[in-house]
Amino acid sequence: MKYKILDHPADLRLLVQGKTYQELFTAGLKGMTEILAPHLETPVKKSQRTITLKSPDITALLIDFLNEVLFLAQTYKEVYQEVNFQKLTENSLIAKVWGRSIKEFKGDIKAITYHEAQIKKNLQGNWETVLVLDI
Amino acid sequence: MDIKKNLIKITDWLWEIPKSFRKDLRVPARIFTTEKMLEATLNDKSLEQLINVATLPGIQQEALVMPDVHEGYGFPIGGVAAFALENGIISPGGIGYDINCGVRLLRSNLTLGEIKPHLADLTQAINQAVPSGVGRGGKLKLNDQELDLVLEKGAVHLVAKGYGEPADLEHLESGGCLPDAKAELVSQHAKDRGRDQLGTLGAGNHFIEISRVAEIFDEKEAQRLNLFPEQIVILIHTGSRGLGHQIATDYIRLMLKVLPKYKISLPDRELVCAPFNSSEGQQYFSAMAAGANFAWANRQLITAAIRQAWQKSLGLAAGPLEIVYDVAHNIAKIEEHFLNGQKKKLIVHRKGATRSFPNQPVIIPGSMGTASYVLVGQEKALKESFGSTCHGAGRALSRHQAQKTVRGAEIKQKLNKQGIIIEAGSLSGLAEEAPQAYKNIDEVVEVVHQAGLAKKVAMLKPLAVIKG
Repeated sequence: MKYKILDHPADLRLLVQGKTYQELFTAGLKGMTEILAPHLETPVKKSQRTITLKSPDITALLIDFLNEVLFLAQTYKEVYQEVNFQKLTENSLIAKVWGRSIKEFKGDIKAITYHEAQIKKNLQGNWETVLVLDI
Repeated sequence: MDIKKNLIKITDWLWEIPKSFRKDLRVPARIFTTEKMLEATLNDKSLEQLINVATLPGIQQEALVMPDVHEGYGFPIGGVAAFALENGIISPGGIGYDINCGVRLLRSNLTLGEIKPHLADLTQAINQAVPSGVGRGGKLKLNDQELDLVLEKGAVHLVAKGYGEPADLEHLESGGCLPDAKAELVSQHAKDRGRDQLGTLGAGNHFIEISRVAEIFDEKEAQRLNLFPEQIVILIHTGSRGLGHQIATDYIRLMLKVLPKYKISLPDRELVCAPFNSSEGQQYFSAMAAGANFAWANRQLITAAIRQAWQKSLGLAAGPLEIVYDVAHNIAKIEEHFLNGQKKKLIVHRKGATRSFPNQPVIIPGSMGTASYVLVGQEKALKESFGSTCHGAGRALSRHQAQKTVRGAEIKQKLNKQGIIIEAGSLSGLAEEAPQAYKNIDEVVEVVHQAGLAKKVAMLKPLAVIKG
């Protein structure tokens, strides 16, 4: 499971990879948290939120999931470092995210867009996609 | 296919990619620019994105971009696209996540000489009065009923509550309120995300700038707008905050789900849309209008806070701060335009583009530390660009490239040396918005002036910048 923050002329690209969908989605969550609040200390599980979603396909599901996490983060002034998927299929999920409340965000994200996103297997056989974030 | 080889020069300021460029194009694509700026534009994907816009159902005349164009997601930034109401679409991506991001200009009766001794105090007072930064809440906490009034009445509600004068509304695009707004079509998510953000600036490229009128290009128009040399003016650049972002997110998601129902095929999912007359299209239009109203209310509340800080810092001699104008640069509106000699109602999308109707003031903010411009819309804009012009300098470097090229502390020092005061929440944010990260605003404005879309009235130079 890994993520990499890449360049975009006006916004940000986030490359996410994982051996499984769980790993891929977790990489997305951690990448986003790194942008909102870089260099957080050891994960803590003080705040817990549940996310239930249905989407047309796996790529849309990842984007919808991250947008939901973003909504929770900005509404409750929290960032999430851990996630547990009770269910994760091609087009639906139930997830619990854990994290901490923070005083201020270091970075802003307006939304995770569908532009350029497509989950597919890379040469190493892992799931991968690039996400464009409007910041 | 090679875009560059297919570009046709129409005038020194206008270029076209013909409809024949690709089979799926419904109209040609046009670029207002110069040969020099066009070269730079060809280095990113903005023209590819513009060509994709020209494939959308119901698009009229041409898909357009302004000289400040740069790559976005789905639609390019700096784009204008008009669609027929009866068989055209509405697309949240053609408006952007920051619904009604826009600019407001306030004018004072004072000159630089008169406020110079108080400038540092005034900057600090405004910085304290207007919360900025990511996720920072404002002073006004709205319950559901009050929030609904803001969503449906925009700046009109804020003025009724005492946050401004009735005369303010005469100087706002659409009077600061789109009548089609329906609060019940804005999700609870969007309301919760934006509830405490009214009256806040946000982060990114949003700012408040105290400037002076450095040059007048058109005496008559300047007089009409009550602008004079060395006059102190204040620019506000912000939008609908988290509430608008969430409205866009919600409706992009909804439209993706119903896309198969309308049999619309798209070259990029971020162009997702629905027929304007469909239930989803109408719902989004009313929710987007509510987001736009929230943005006008936001700039109204910020204006009220600035007026208070102005009085507090300058005392009796302060005089009024009146609104020159307030323009939206991420919005879709129903407008009447002449097409082939026939008057037709269209849904005009502007994403990083400003309305430029004849005699209407147009405010174009430059990048941090550089000039900004006041222009006036021209008749020709109605014929050539659905009454639209550019919205700013437009990015030339990515935020990361900008951070690599310059450090925030250096920029602050450099701007301070030029006598510009900087109040910034984050130094890395300052680097991202460095002047060298943007195109040259003077060149951008010259294009729209020469192309006859809007004429130059005055140039403003910054004295103090407040950003999140």
